[in-house]
Amino acid sequence: MNADKNLEVNVHHVTRVEGHGNIYVNVKNGIIEKCEWAIPEAPRFFEAMVVGRDWTELQHITSRICGICSIGHTLASLKATEAAMGIAISDQDIKLRKLALHAENLQSHILHVGFLILPDLMGVGSVIPLASSNPAEVKTVLGLHRMANEMSNLICGRTTHPQRLIPGGFSKIPSIKDLLSLRDNLQSSIPALEVVANLVQSLAPKIPNFVRETEFIALSNPDEYALYDGKIASTDTDSAPASEYLSYTNEYIVPQSTAKWAKHSRESYMVGALARLNINYDKLSPLAKKISDMFELKPICHNPFMNSIAQLVEIVDSVADSIKLITELETTGLESQSEYNLPKVTIKAGQGVSAVEVPRGILFHDYTYDEKGVCKKANCIIPTNQNHGNIELDMKALLPQILDKTEKEIELNLEMLVRAYDPCISCSTHAVKVHFV
Amino acid sequence: MGEAKNMHILSKEDFSEFINSLIADNSLNVVGVKSKGTKFAFGPLESADQLRLDYDVTLLPPKKYFFPQRETLVTYDVASGYQNKSLADTKPNIIVGVHPYDIMAILHMDEIFCETKSDPNYLARRNSSVIIGVNIQKMSESCFASSMGCATIDYGYDLMLTDLGNKYAIDVGSHKGADLLNKYSKNVKKALASDIQSVGKKKQEIMNKTQQEFSFSSELIPEMLGKFYEKTNFWEDHSEECLSCGSCVLVCPTCYCFDIMDNPALSLKTGERGRTWDGCLLEDFAKISSGENFRNTKATRYRHRYFKKGKYLFDRFGFVSCVGCGRCSSNCLPDIANPVNLFNDMYAESLKIGIQIDPATVPDVKIKSGDVIDYAPKIATIVKKVPMTANETMFELKLDDGSELGHEPGQFVQVSVFGVGEAPFGVSSSPTKKDTFELCIRKLGNVTSKIHTLQEGDKVGIRGPFGNGFNAELLKGKDLLFVAGGLGIVPLRSLFNYVLDNRSDYGRVILLYGCKEPRELLFGDEILSLEDRKDVEFKSTVDRCPENEVWTRNVGVITTLIPQVDFDPQKTYAIVCGPPIMYKFVIRDLKSQNVPDDHIIVSLERRMKCGVGKCGHCQINQLYVCKDGPVFNYSKIKGIPEAL
Amino acid sequence: MKPKVAFFDFAGCEGDQLQIANLEEEILDLLGQVEVVSFREVMKEHSDDYDIAFIEGSCTRLQDEERLKQIRKNASIVVAIGSCATIGGINSLKNYQNLDDVKKTVYGDKANLFDTYPARPIDAVIPVDAYVHGCPMTKDEFLHVVKSLLLGKKPEIPNYPVCVECKKNENVCAFERGEFCVGPVTRAGCNSCCVNEGTKCWGCRGMVDNPNENSQKEVLVKYGLSVDDAIGKFKLYFGWQGKKK
Repeated sequence: MNADKNLEVNVHHVTRVEGHGNIYVNVKNGIIEKCEWAIPEAPRFFEAMVVGRDWTELQHITSRICGICSIGHTLASLKATEAAMGIAISDQDIKLRKLALHAENLQSHILHVGFLILPDLMGVGSVIPLASSNPAEVKTVLGLHRMANEMSNLICGRTTHPQRLIPGGFSKIPSIKDLLSLRDNLQSSIPALEVVANLVQSLAPKIPNFVRETEFIALSNPDEYALYDGKIASTDTDSAPASEYLSYTNEYIVPQSTAKWAKHSRESYMVGALARLNINYDKLSPLAKKISDMFELKPICHNPFMNSIAQLVEIVDSVADSIKLITELETTGLESQSEYNLPKVTIKAGQGVSAVEVPRGILFHDYTYDEKGVCKKANCIIPTNQNHGNIELDMKALLPQILDKTEKEIELNLEMLVRAYDPCISCSTHAVKVHFV
Repeated sequence: MGEAKNMHILSKEDFSEFINSLIADNSLNVVGVKSKGTKFAFGPLESADQLRLDYDVTLLPPKKYFFPQRETLVTYDVASGYQNKSLADTKPNIIVGVHPYDIMAILHMDEIFCETKSDPNYLARRNSSVIIGVNIQKMSESCFASSMGCATIDYGYDLMLTDLGNKYAIDVGSHKGADLLNKYSKNVKKALASDIQSVGKKKQEIMNKTQQEFSFSSELIPEMLGKFYEKTNFWEDHSEECLSCGSCVLVCPTCYCFDIMDNPALSLKTGERGRTWDGCLLEDFAKISSGENFRNTKATRYRHRYFKKGKYLFDRFGFVSCVGCGRCSSNCLPDIANPVNLFNDMYAESLKIGIQIDPATVPDVKIKSGDVIDYAPKIATIVKKVPMTANETMFELKLDDGSELGHEPGQFVQVSVFGVGEAPFGVSSSPTKKDTFELCIRKLGNVTSKIHTLQEGDKVGIRGPFGNGFNAELLKGKDLLFVAGGLGIVPLRSLFNYVLDNRSDYGRVILLYGCKEPRELLFGDEILSLEDRKDVEFKSTVDRCPENEVWTRNVGVITTLIPQVDFDPQKTYAIVCGPPIMYKFVIRDLKSQNVPDDHIIVSLERRMKCGVGKCGHCQINQLYVCKDGPVFNYSKIKGIPEAL
Repeated sequence: MKPKVAFFDFAGCEGDQLQIANLEEEILDLLGQVEVVSFREVMKEHSDDYDIAFIEGSCTRLQDEERLKQIRKNASIVVAIGSCATIGGINSLKNYQNLDDVKKTVYGDKANLFDTYPARPIDAVIPVDAYVHGCPMTKDEFLHVVKSLLLGKKPEIPNYPVCVECKKNENVCAFERGEFCVGPVTRAGCNSCCVNEGTKCWGCRGMVDNPNENSQKEVLVKYGLSVDDAIGKFKLYFGWQGKKK
């Protein structure tokens, strides 16, 4: 039956993903001649743009790599600058930064699962018709999304391009009163999260059961489910400090993409929520493990479609951990600072590398400064870049398994595969490795 | 104030108790000076500990409690119309720590917000507030309050504190202050003679303290400004680095200009109209829909601020409206806003070029408070819509409540379109036409374009009538020469038709009307039929007649018609209205025919927002176009450089 | 009849479109007033029949111009959203570097596969009817523009500097705190949000119509910045506007 199959799939600009990506498939007489995941996105040259700029400006500029993972990029940027110049961060500020990452994870995952994935599971083109057919569920998702944004506003100033995150700490911090009020909101959101989890579980049969073994890479930390800090860990190899990132990422150019690909111990690897869960599972809060159990999601899961479920688990874990962090701040007391805080920094030359987990996976920033604090070189490795190779290999493995379906179904399945990764394509084309003479 | 019997003493501890019991009363909004970064600002007090009465100057003056940065004036519902926003729920403000110069500024604002017509929002907040002043302990570097006589003050407060080390002397300035002290404090003692002396000494020390001072007597300011209006180089040099950022006026305790904006809800069915602080230094402050900007250079705007404070308000109210707080100076990044520097430069320049400057005579000002302003428009229905030209349409309106507009010829109304905004239009019909009134509207900006899309039966909001109209009584028995240029025919028509309806009360009636081209002629049939009347002399002209149009009458600018009419300048009154550029030339020609200055009447246009002489946009020198105009007698404004 | 609206993105970070998602429950109110016929990030469906087009991101390649011109043909109203679309945004920072060198060092012999030219705002390619400035734009300003368009009115946006809003919000001036702010030449409308958060204005909304650039640079130098660094501040967001003058 497949021997007669002739198929040409050209999905130009996949919908319900951030950024522009194309799927090209060409099957003749049952033989797959072409199966490509191509990125036509305009390159944005961020690593070139920051060269010559001042250390106070880097996080402002690199934040603009992504509107959704701004907080993550900003924190990765700050950590790299702080590593380069030996700037210490207080425990209080670290806790607040962790809250910031939780807020980002919440906002991004809720948007992804609620607006981008749910429509596929419910068989509609977008969340818009769901507003009429399932108004209660849509309102629940919107309410959770709003809570996540209010959390970012409180901690960072705003979700996209957060102003409060500056080298050495925060320009402004929330009051303990506001943090406790946030904690109340987080606590009250748990029933709503369970509603969403139940809804997704009722649709779980729609999630394709596809398995292709691959390597997973994420941060790991002995003390917590690693998002802000940790070592680079792999399901295949040993872990290493962030400074050794290049030996993990190994970026290279492919002709069909303006974004680069990455590989480590195999032809490709996967980063993101599923990778984090596979590596950090035992650090999940009891509440989050409950959700994971609902879907029988345990390490090591090699089904990329389960990335969305891993995100659901992380939503709950972020809520639980945020409540814990706020309680810690309540206990130690929140030290006040000026309404216009500007930490004093001793500028010096140096190189600093940072690794941070953003919603889509592990992110690296690597900066080199001269003695005046001017950036001489920069390198950013975006999670989605690291996933491109895995996406295409998954596509190549999935295609033969679904070749007997209709063209429309094949197209939908391939798109769903891409969407499961929650790619952030405009970030991944920030990139330019610049060697300056 | 009789200091002796009103002076009391409170220990610092008891004073804190006093403040804390005020704070504990939830029906009050207790605010005071707190630290903010390295500066100070008035803000809500959670405990007396937060008070910093040793401050030098606050970022913003306490006027924000009576005249907030942003406030909703009116709400609307398309179904039911506009309603004033109630202030019933506003808590009274207890403002702790006001310096004497800021108290003086509040007194200036009281006069400004209440003269002729009172601003209800300002009044409500002001009347319910309590001012607890404090004598200056630290003077900021840029403060020149002593030079302005505002470093100390003996009135205008409910309570006035003086720090005497371990205790406060409290001067009770009003019944409100006395009541507050009685109700919320304990252990208040009467001041001893030695305490009163200490207070006197402290005040004297402050008055003697000078950080910045004038090199001349400040009473020379109004006249000196008058002599420097024309000196463009002086103003251009001083304003070269102006960023038009408005900082100087936004922090000023005596500035009161505001802008008004509509903000609809997403449903478009409801919304609100609010006001927000505005500033004459901002580039578009004096810009109107047509694109004309009456102060379109940094130098003219920069000059205007000094004139407004130092001369125009002096001419109108009898005080130089500056209290020497120094906020403008310290907030100006290029450092060009310090009045002390500017006036000292001006004085030095005047000595150099040998100009004689005399102290100004304080004008004999009788400011009367009148009605309370109603910011909520009434609803009117469009009963007839008649397009007249490609861009101008005549709208006939009837007020829904059945009342007459009750206008005088020459007055204007403010027309609102839900959610879009409000704009002023001269009423074009005579008050002798009952039941309805007419407006002729040119499609130009947002509001006018939207009005043009409305149909008969649609509703708009109306405020007014406003302004100083034509004095039809004064003109009785005289010969009248109407000179209308372009859109100027619109307000003139209100008087013209009034005269025709009372024809026997007037002498000769001559109408000269000029447009750019024949197709721009307004009220076409009505106007041209005047040629058939024996009791009216009518001449019309166009600047040019394009090939495809027909025109058998005069071709040339409006001034070409004036020599074609024979009139007796002593018996004749000229009533002129047209585009800004027209006035100069028409008036020149009228003067050359020996028409006396006070026989020339003009109707001027400016950017008008509130329509009631409060927001500051239409101000020309000490006059408000919306209140003292738009109709002016030429003799009154010929000396005013900004007018024509 | 609800107007049909469509969303498009070019070279940007999608942060502005995220602000629309951030309308939260108000999205439902918005959908009550407009019909969304194309919004790639959230829906599969697409139609070329739309009245209002919202465009995010800068034009950074010749091949993007065709797409822009097609959108202009289809729409009666084009709205640029976010700094990249309205003024060139942070993308214009790269215009100061030699693009050929940058491309060659990145992509080596594959350089000619990657087409790029100086980043520019949308109105450098097609006429634009309304602007929602900011990096990112705020949802309030977005709604303000939408409401104005629904009322048939040209949206009013401020032509005065951020200082106006900063003073109304009673901030301590950035210069007093040792920061180098470009608020005095930057267009207001953001309610001085960055200064409110304890920092300074970076200029993301572009310059007012007639900025006093020299005075701003002199102020920066007066407060301690070198001349080169002062000029450098103008390259962050004003790259395209500054070069035009």
